[in-house]
Amino acid sequence: MDLREHFERAVDDDPGADPAVMAHAAIARGGQVRRRRRQVAGAAGGVLAVLGIVAGLNLPSQAEPAVTVAAAMRPPAAPSCSVDPVQRDATDVAIFLKSDTSGPQQAALASALGNDPRVGTVVFESRSSAYEKFRRLWADNPDFVDAVSPKDLPESFRVRLVDAAQFTALQSDYAAMDGVQDIVGRICLVGAAIGGVQ
Amino acid sequence: MTDTVTASRPAEQQSTRTTRDREFTAFVESAATRLRRSAYLMCRDWHLAQDLTQQTFTKMYVVWNRIRTGTNLDAYSRRVLMNLVFDQQKRRSGSEIVLAEMPDQPDGADGGGAPDLHLTLVDALAQLTVDDRAVLVLRHAEDHSVDTVASILGISVSAAKMRDTRALSRLRSLLGDDFLNH
Repeated sequence: MDLREHFERAVDDDPGADPAVMAHAAIARGGQVRRRRRQVAGAAGGVLAVLGIVAGLNLPSQAEPAVTVAAAMRPPAAPSCSVDPVQRDATDVAIFLKSDTSGPQQAALASALGNDPRVGTVVFESRSSAYEKFRRLWADNPDFVDAVSPKDLPESFRVRLVDAAQFTALQSDYAAMDGVQDIVGRICLVGAAIGGVQ
Repeated sequence: MTDTVTASRPAEQQSTRTTRDREFTAFVESAATRLRRSAYLMCRDWHLAQDLTQQTFTKMYVVWNRIRTGTNLDAYSRRVLMNLVFDQQKRRSGSEIVLAEMPDQPDGADGGGAPDLHLTLVDALAQLTVDDRAVLVLRHAEDHSVDTVASILGISVSAAKMRDTRALSRLRSLLGDDFLNH
């Protein structure tokens, strides 16, 4: 028996479920999320229109499901940046590292970013610095702060691009590199914090 | 003229939505069983597996308009599922002192009968790291190519190969040498 057959056998007590019911539930729940996102998108769009950035904006109703890192561990958008991540034309990018990213992997990323002509500015956000900001942000919720330690917060490279049109290409290049958890782009004004997150 | 346009709009939207939902339902019907089984191999719990599968479909429906064409839905759904599994794992290990209930050493591996054997494979998988488990499930239970596995997990092809080799040899050492040669 080959491995494939062993795997087949291991699941032969599958209790099963009606896929039509699953589809129906997904449509009902997913539809709610979609409508909520559209409302948020409307609000964010309003803010950005005031800031004078409307062209080519990909609204967050189309954002990737954020399923990789617990949302609360993520730094929120910096002021003067789009609240939700965008899929293209981001001016600023946060590249979050995995919790087990090695020193050499991190160094390889730093050097790739340093030599990348698409990158205008790059800053490294250490775990301890992320933790300090996290503590300040959640100062009104000490129980939550106590439950989180610096190692729970992702390290990241914060990048400002030379040209927002290059975001998609840059994103796919770095997503392929070892040690990268995920990449979040936002549209920011010039004065915003590098990387578009706090 | 304007009237005609506005009047016909709701009907158009309605039929777009119906088509969209029909497409989505067809996708769920084609993918649900395989996804649930892979989820089970990852978490050793049919109830949780069903829950993770449902969450995967819900997340996909939210972005269905964007992914329904031009996206490899099979690979996309695995990626969403695996991310949910990784999240789940992270939450568990963060909030519980006991990481996971480790099964007793699989004495039953050479105990003969096939029923023992199938329990043993899932138990052995549970002893691997979640990353190694993901590679084995995608590569050998689902039969994806190394390239596809790499892109689903967002790792390089060489990393996927290495992980696969490492995980297979760990599995072999947990289950006994003759396991894969049966």
